[in-house]
Amino acid sequence: MRNTFKLIIRSLVRKPMTTTINLLGLSVSLALVLILSAYSFSEFSTDKFHQNHENIFIIQPGKGWLYTPAILKPVIDNSLEGVEKLIRVRDKWKAPVYQFGQNNPLESDLIFADSDFFEVFDYKALEGDLKTALSEPMSLVISEKLARRLFGEKPALGKTVKLDDKHLLTVSAVFKDQALNSIFSFNSITNIETVKKVQPNPSDFTHWNYNNYQTFLQLNNHVNKTEIAKNIVKLFPESNRERLSQLKLVELSKIYFANRDQHISYLKFGNKQNVIYLALVAMLVLIVALVNFINITASHWHDKIKQTGVMKVIGAWRPTIIVQMLLETFLLFTFALFLGYCFVFLSSTYLARKTEIVFSPELFMSPGFLLISISLVTLLSILCGIVPALRIAYSATLINLKKKVTLKTQKSFGKGIMVSLQFVVTIVLILFTILVQKQVDYGNNNIGINQESIIGVPLTKQMVGKKDVLKESLLAKANVEEVVFTQYYPGKMNSGWSSTFQINGEEIRAVFRTFSADAGFFDIMGLELTEGRFYHDHLETDKYKVVVNHQFLKEFGITEPIGFVLPQYRRPDYEIVGVVKDFHFKSVNEPIAPLVIRNDDIQSSVALVRLKTENFKALKITYENIRGLTAELSPSFPVNVTFFDQAVEAMYQSEIKFRRAFTMFSICAIVISCMGILAMSLFATRQRIKEIGIRKVNGAKVYEILAMLNKDFIKWVVIAFVIACPIAYYAMNKWLENFAYKTTLSWWIFALAGVLALGIALLTVSFQSYKAAIRNPVEALRYE
Amino acid sequence: MIHLKNIDKYYDSKFQRTFVLKGINFEVNQGEFVSVMGPSGSGKSTMLNIIGLLDQPSAGELFIFDEPVFNLKEKRKIEYHRNFMGFIFQAYHLIEEMTVYENIETPLIYKGVKSKERKPMVANLLDHFNMVAKKDLFPQQLSGGQQQLVGVARAIVGKPKLLLADEPTGNLHSSQGEMIMDVLKGLNEEGMTIIQVTHNEKFAQYGKRIIRLEDGLIREDLPVQN
Repeated sequence: MRNTFKLIIRSLVRKPMTTTINLLGLSVSLALVLILSAYSFSEFSTDKFHQNHENIFIIQPGKGWLYTPAILKPVIDNSLEGVEKLIRVRDKWKAPVYQFGQNNPLESDLIFADSDFFEVFDYKALEGDLKTALSEPMSLVISEKLARRLFGEKPALGKTVKLDDKHLLTVSAVFKDQALNSIFSFNSITNIETVKKVQPNPSDFTHWNYNNYQTFLQLNNHVNKTEIAKNIVKLFPESNRERLSQLKLVELSKIYFANRDQHISYLKFGNKQNVIYLALVAMLVLIVALVNFINITASHWHDKIKQTGVMKVIGAWRPTIIVQMLLETFLLFTFALFLGYCFVFLSSTYLARKTEIVFSPELFMSPGFLLISISLVTLLSILCGIVPALRIAYSATLINLKKKVTLKTQKSFGKGIMVSLQFVVTIVLILFTILVQKQVDYGNNNIGINQESIIGVPLTKQMVGKKDVLKESLLAKANVEEVVFTQYYPGKMNSGWSSTFQINGEEIRAVFRTFSADAGFFDIMGLELTEGRFYHDHLETDKYKVVVNHQFLKEFGITEPIGFVLPQYRRPDYEIVGVVKDFHFKSVNEPIAPLVIRNDDIQSSVALVRLKTENFKALKITYENIRGLTAELSPSFPVNVTFFDQAVEAMYQSEIKFRRAFTMFSICAIVISCMGILAMSLFATRQRIKEIGIRKVNGAKVYEILAMLNKDFIKWVVIAFVIACPIAYYAMNKWLENFAYKTTLSWWIFALAGVLALGIALLTVSFQSYKAAIRNPVEALRYE
Repeated sequence: MIHLKNIDKYYDSKFQRTFVLKGINFEVNQGEFVSVMGPSGSGKSTMLNIIGLLDQPSAGELFIFDEPVFNLKEKRKIEYHRNFMGFIFQAYHLIEEMTVYENIETPLIYKGVKSKERKPMVANLLDHFNMVAKKDLFPQQLSGGQQQLVGVARAIVGKPKLLLADEPTGNLHSSQGEMIMDVLKGLNEEGMTIIQVTHNEKFAQYGKRIIRLEDGLIREDLPVQN
């Protein structure tokens, strides 16, 4: 046995080139498979670490809608059997600012929840007792991270912090930062009663139309969730029930993938499709590496055949030979797995930072995971090794000695299929990489608003009252051209309002997005007017005039918009004076919603500052100036001044990260298949050395030899291209269906991918062919 | 010891049958040293392969120690290879990943000889062939003659009764060839039965008997005269 290992290692070392290609390809692809399986595992097991996760549900009143009224709790608690616990949760409307003593104030996040939150959801306490920590109003439970930001290494328990320069909250517990695969993501939580002080609203707890909360239910084991859902609908007042026909309870572990368009600050959602696409690419990389492996070892075994013959002649038994060959494959795979693990650990922090691929490294060390990966490797090595091993071992000894065993993969036809398969994968991945980039560019170029040279200054509580001062001092700075106030900023949620009106005798309840803006907003953003006029913010008569987008007209069937009245509940009615061309005020990946832009100065939350310059240095100086000014005006609330275009980009963080991961994986696949093709061309030329020699002796020129050697590979690329195009076309169309606004599949994508694949193939192959072609024929012939 | 009876070997193509061997009859007794000679394509190697159980005759019978060996099962064949015969090849056919020592040792491992017993057996042979200093080298590091010496050592380490040599000197300089032939002659004098195929008239004379083949027929079968 020890001898066998020694022999295997010697034979691997004797062929450094092929062994390296094999090992590198296998280990990189195994690393990707490991990473992706860990990632998918953690994505698909979201929130399963809560002990009761199977019995916890969220109420989803309608499709893509998770808001419920607070008054639901007392009603359900009183009259519904089977609900063990009910937790209402909401986030704070504006990000909270905490200040401890005289330290710098800092911005964080805050949610309000019923006091038994920690009895339903499992968190680990670092300080204090979570079970009782939320029982008092104005008590605050914070995350390990926030505790460190606020108090450094000192204990946090019992300390008092000031919220928004006004309310005093006492830290009653600190929880350990939660597992990565949870929908919850918050740093501080307080009793729901605190809402009444921090965000007072008399109707919030009493009115059925104030849907500001998410409601989580813990049911007991025996009840039927559809039954419960039906009963919940019955508890609503009659007038609300109609809209709740879709109400259902969603299991905790399923919320993550079911709500990807939701924007609730303390909940994070996943994109199942992206996970699946990445997993698919990882599988493709594995296939490419396995094809490499089969091709290379097949050529390798060509040399082994003779040796096997000798071993048989001196008395080796067939099973011995088979076992030795399988062992060699297995050893290589195991080593590759080990290297793969190393790659995973080396790259995990980079991946977590640059892409969305986050997983816990402990998962890899769990016995289950190790067992699965080792059995997978065993299975793969047997699959790849068994056919040639059997063929070689069972062929006649004499034929072995004369090196005449033909393996299927050694016939040029079979090899062609393998190489073509690799090229199919490569071409499909190149196509997808181009497409993903094209889609992103498409989105960025078609937002429909100006993004350059604009700075956004969020208005904190201390600045809202000083808007005039702010505007004046901003305009006094160099390079500042214009300042407008608005409620709109990329990445910020827009309010949803509704209005009921008559169209053609039919009553329509229109739900739309809305924000306020100064008249200057239209100019700064470069919005295009298609009908009517913009309102003027200095005219008292224009106070309730609004501008709507095109989608608003389309969705509600309004044909004569100018002068159209939108009745409002307990507010003066609005009148449409103008219509603007549609622009993406939310992510370009979402359909454009009906929008109303109001002339409502009080609501403004951001100052948009247009700069005169595009010079980078000047921009930077102005940016610093503005920051200095805002820090002066708002000492207790940090102001996060940002460039508009960066805020737009931040909206696409997840897309950017997905694209990065996808591109990275694709490049791995392409490089690995290139290495495979390099190895194939190496063997192809080596097998034809004699032929090349004879042809040269008979007068063939170098370029003729080159053409002869490259012809096969070009043929394979062309075949692969023909196969890859329809597959990719179908898959690309499927992928584009995810986007509301999509780029087109133009012919040049395919042409470019084809040319690239051909270029890659020619480059790798020609290197070998040229070396073979310029060889001295005498040397080549003597070699045989 | 070995008896070939009416051995034919032919290949059928569409319209004709090509004979490689036709009606071969001869006997080899224990202790003989037979040289088989003949031009290229006369069937020498095929005959040797048939005797070595590497190839099947198309017709006729082969007896080893009066036991018919025809259509043997794999297991029985291996028994013969392990215990009864050793092979030497023109191209040496050493295993390149193994050192000299390991190459010689391998047949013993297959035979199931225990590690303790293997060591002295291999050491003896190395000593005998003056190769002790080279035991840890790989075949590529040796000259052709030395490689063939290892080939001979590997063939005889299992103490076979019959040694089959297919042009053992074909790739060697004449001086190295002579050395190998001296070794074979020595082995024969110690009692080993040897059948060698050769082109070289001079090396054929090392044997005790020369069989000349031509077009698959035995033309001449004469003892060597000194």
